[in-house]
Amino acid sequence: MTVLCRLDDLPDGGARGFEVPGLDCKVIVVRKGERVHGWRDFCPHYKGGTPMAWKRDAYLNGARTHIACHAHGAWFDIETGACVQGPCLGRRLIRVPLTIDAAGAVCMRPREERT
Amino acid sequence: MQIIGPDSLVFGVDDVPACHEFLTAYGLAPQDYSPEKGGHFVSLDGTGLEIRRRDDPSLPPALKTGNMLRMQVLGVVDQAALDAVAAELGKDRQVLRLADGSLRTQDDQGFELSFRVTTRRQLDLPAEKVNAPGDLGRKPNQLGVWQDMPTDPRTLSHVVLFVPDIEPAVAFYRDRLGFRITDTFIGTGPFLRPQANPDHHTHFFIRTPPYMQGCEHLAFHMGGPTELMLAGSKMIKAGFESFWGPGRHKFGSNWFWYFKSPLGCNVEFDADMDTHDDDWIPRETPMGAEAAQAFLFQHRDKWAPSGGPKPGQ
Ligand code: FES
Ligand SMILES: [Fe+2]
Repeated sequence: MTVLCRLDDLPDGGARGFEVPGLDCKVIVVRKGERVHGWRDFCPHYKGGTPMAWKRDAYLNGARTHIACHAHGAWFDIETGACVQGPCLGRRLIRVPLTIDAAGAVCMRPREERT
Repeated sequence: MQIIGPDSLVFGVDDVPACHEFLTAYGLAPQDYSPEKGGHFVSLDGTGLEIRRRDDPSLPPALKTGNMLRMQVLGVVDQAALDAVAAELGKDRQVLRLADGSLRTQDDQGFELSFRVTTRRQLDLPAEKVNAPGDLGRKPNQLGVWQDMPTDPRTLSHVVLFVPDIEPAVAFYRDRLGFRITDTFIGTGPFLRPQANPDHHTHFFIRTPPYMQGCEHLAFHMGGPTELMLAGSKMIKAGFESFWGPGRHKFGSNWFWYFKSPLGCNVEFDADMDTHDDDWIPRETPMGAEAAQAFLFQHRDKWAPSGGPKPGQ
């Protein structure tokens, strides 16, 4: 299991990106209360995908209601990864399954680590 | 039609302070700015961006797609040129004359347009100079680069639009406003140059589905490729994220470096764009990676060969 961070390191309602050895994109972790949602930092607008923040860790829209790709303003649902507005309508982000262990560490599940 | 090009692009955004952070790092100067109301961000000749809150009642209506571009302000050479625009567009649409003398209307796609006698200042600044055997651009002792040389964007260069109904859009700019098509990416769209501006393009249109209508990117001209490289490197060092570049486009020959932004579109540095006149014969080629650029690089942290064997080892 790859540990990304501790739940306490993440501001509630905020997002952070993590480099993971062996993955060709960052993993975005968004915290909502005691839950975390993990997504690949790959905007599906163009083939191959492109990273989405406008600044390190700046993945959310202004109101912090959606993950936003800051190349052309696509918005994605934080919980389902579905695009709700912009160039990626009908597409979704690729989920990175996460767990929070008993000690409060945010971990990637092993299946994802192999990909 | 003696149109010069965009004097200003107006955005209604959902995070004004984030735009302030980004645009000042990019090198634009804030004017009449407050975090609550937004303000103007200007380049050296006075052209620039106007950033307001999305719900600012003074803004023209938003596009249905969520794109944050609210209006293009196009500068024309003089009052006669402005009157000519009003007379032409007044034939088939409402053209408002506002108290400040500007015109307000819409193009055939529902993009809001304003026209005014340009307020840009004539720039009297040297371009970046290159030394080559046979042609020394710089005087002796004049340096080509230093770490903290100025990298201020000089003028608003161009805007690129996602356009759903591209044929009527092109017809409007070409036949009604007198733009010239300089080159075309087949299947994507044309580069357009207004008559009072020799730049390869002030507009480029990309064919898209209706749910994408909006601004794809905008760009400001830099003083040369060194300024562009330095400006982009400073952005990277400050934590901003590149989208594409640095590299050099084929159509237009302009150097480019695109950054993602809180304006919901890419914001580009460009430098050393070709200029054209009406003798130019437009080119056409299918869009693709090969056609889009002569070369492409990716930023890396500074590095130097050091730490090898010492003399005597
Ligand atoms: S690359 Fe993400 S919206 Fe275009
Ligand atoms: Fe451009």
